[in-house]
Amino acid sequence: METSINKKTSLDRKFDKLRELEETGKSRKGIQNRALRKMLSNKLAVIGLVFVSIVIVASIIAPLICKYDPQKVNLRMILKPPSSEHILGTDKVGRDVYARIIYGGRISILVGLGSALGAALIGVSIGAYTGYRGGWIDSLILRISEIVMAFPQIILVLLLVAILGQSLMNLMVIFTLTGWGGLFRMTRAQMLSLREEEYVQALQAFGLSSFRISFKHVLPNALGPIMVNITLSTAMFILQEAGLSFLGLGVPLNIPTWGNILNVAIDLRILEDFWWVWMPVAVMISLFVLGINFIGDGLRDSTDPSLQG
Amino acid sequence: MIPIEAMRDMTPEALNSMREALGLNDPFLIRYFRWLIGVLQGDFGYSFASGVAIKDLVLDRLPATLELSLFALLLSTIIGTFFGTISALKRGSAIDNSFTVFGMLGVSIPEFIFGLLAIVLFSLQLKWFPVGGRLMPGYETFWDHLPHLILPASVLSLIMTAGVMRYTRSSMLDSMNREFIKTARSKGIPEWRVNFLHGFRVALIPVIVLIGFRLPMLIGGTVIIEQVFQWPGVGEQFVLAVRGRNYPLIMMIAFLSVNAVLIASFLIDLLTALLDPRVKLE
Repeated sequence: METSINKKTSLDRKFDKLRELEETGKSRKGIQNRALRKMLSNKLAVIGLVFVSIVIVASIIAPLICKYDPQKVNLRMILKPPSSEHILGTDKVGRDVYARIIYGGRISILVGLGSALGAALIGVSIGAYTGYRGGWIDSLILRISEIVMAFPQIILVLLLVAILGQSLMNLMVIFTLTGWGGLFRMTRAQMLSLREEEYVQALQAFGLSSFRISFKHVLPNALGPIMVNITLSTAMFILQEAGLSFLGLGVPLNIPTWGNILNVAIDLRILEDFWWVWMPVAVMISLFVLGINFIGDGLRDSTDPSLQG
Repeated sequence: MIPIEAMRDMTPEALNSMREALGLNDPFLIRYFRWLIGVLQGDFGYSFASGVAIKDLVLDRLPATLELSLFALLLSTIIGTFFGTISALKRGSAIDNSFTVFGMLGVSIPEFIFGLLAIVLFSLQLKWFPVGGRLMPGYETFWDHLPHLILPASVLSLIMTAGVMRYTRSSMLDSMNREFIKTARSKGIPEWRVNFLHGFRVALIPVIVLIGFRLPMLIGGTVIIEQVFQWPGVGEQFVLAVRGRNYPLIMMIAFLSVNAVLIASFLIDLLTALLDPRVKLE
């Protein structure tokens, strides 16, 4: 018994160290924002953040780091393996695979991020207001979102592709239209619980308009889960773009995107003998989405109060 | 079907009388209710491409899709709950961490890349399984197409396993922290009985709900995998219909999958009421 009381556990030692730091005033150094500090101490999230940033920067400065035009057909260089001239070889009409992957990233990331932000704009703004106000508008929009979410996502997306036609803009509109439901419901649920807080009652007593209360005072407190959701939606939309383009129903084939580059792999000859045409881009999509998912998980751990340690 | 030439040489008057006869000049709502009444009577219209009744086209493809997705659902449920439980019981161990990484990879890598890798490895290099397709002429029993089924079903279940596993893990962790587990342990019940008869049973309820939500995937979730493996199911037919703008066919398949979702969520409600004594049906 005696020993167990006197023995210091590892937790005790940690507390001692913290107390020491606090007394000497060293703990105030470094990054003040708790969420940011926690995010940066999460190794996987930092790795994801670094990788995703590198890819985004590379696709923005694409003309500076690619020697070749991704669209330029060169019939003398068909399906050449990787060499010093073409780092990742050439595809079946002689286009440089490396340049296509870097330029393709522009469109793929644009579709993913643009659709996620579009869905967030609709879902969050409607959810924040109707979740706070309630009433018949709230139930009406809730029903609409239920109708949208009753479809399996890919069926609804393909259905809209058939109606609206294939183009880059249409694809982003379609993803936004099919993806806002989740964000709407999540924001609404957050608002429903936050609006019962006492500070909201105080604001109401001051006579602030419900528009001001919901957007300026309640919404900021719900931002954590919303950010996580936007991040994960971006990953999901990039995967969906790749899937749709793989089916030949996404972004029109003449625009290079990650999905469109992979599209050729349905040809068994290419799949078996010319790995450099499809393998690098497959790895690229997977790592990029993995990176975004790591960021999303890191964000969740650092903003969710129930997980604070 | 009307040949293209006949349509091209039509005079405007003939075109108009044709539209009148087919009811295309009626207002939108009337046309919609005409379609709806047809659907209620089991008449889904005719394919733009072949003129065959849509119902027959889809019913023809449905067994292939259900075969694929039921197999995958079964496989992923068994593997996912098993590994998820182990992961939760050995929390923090190397096994748990590797399963977590696997789960992360499973949600990050597009399903068709798994499919392509499986084809390259098992069909083209090792030549264990055929590349794609389902039936060869003359071979029509289940055992004949089992080799064709194994690859697509495994790839599909691999994707679905990741989700089931993560879910089972957190649900199991949740249930192992509850009071009744302490009670069971303090009564001296062997640890494996505590884990499997007490913890696992309670942890299973949310997992069953998740599987219920997967049921609609039976029709909607196989679209891309069917394309990769040239599996002649509803999903492949849907892609063809979208490419050819074959609207009656698109509508019927969308209608089917929405109904699958509605029926599944109804079943989930019934099932949770049955499994969880705290939920009562009003």
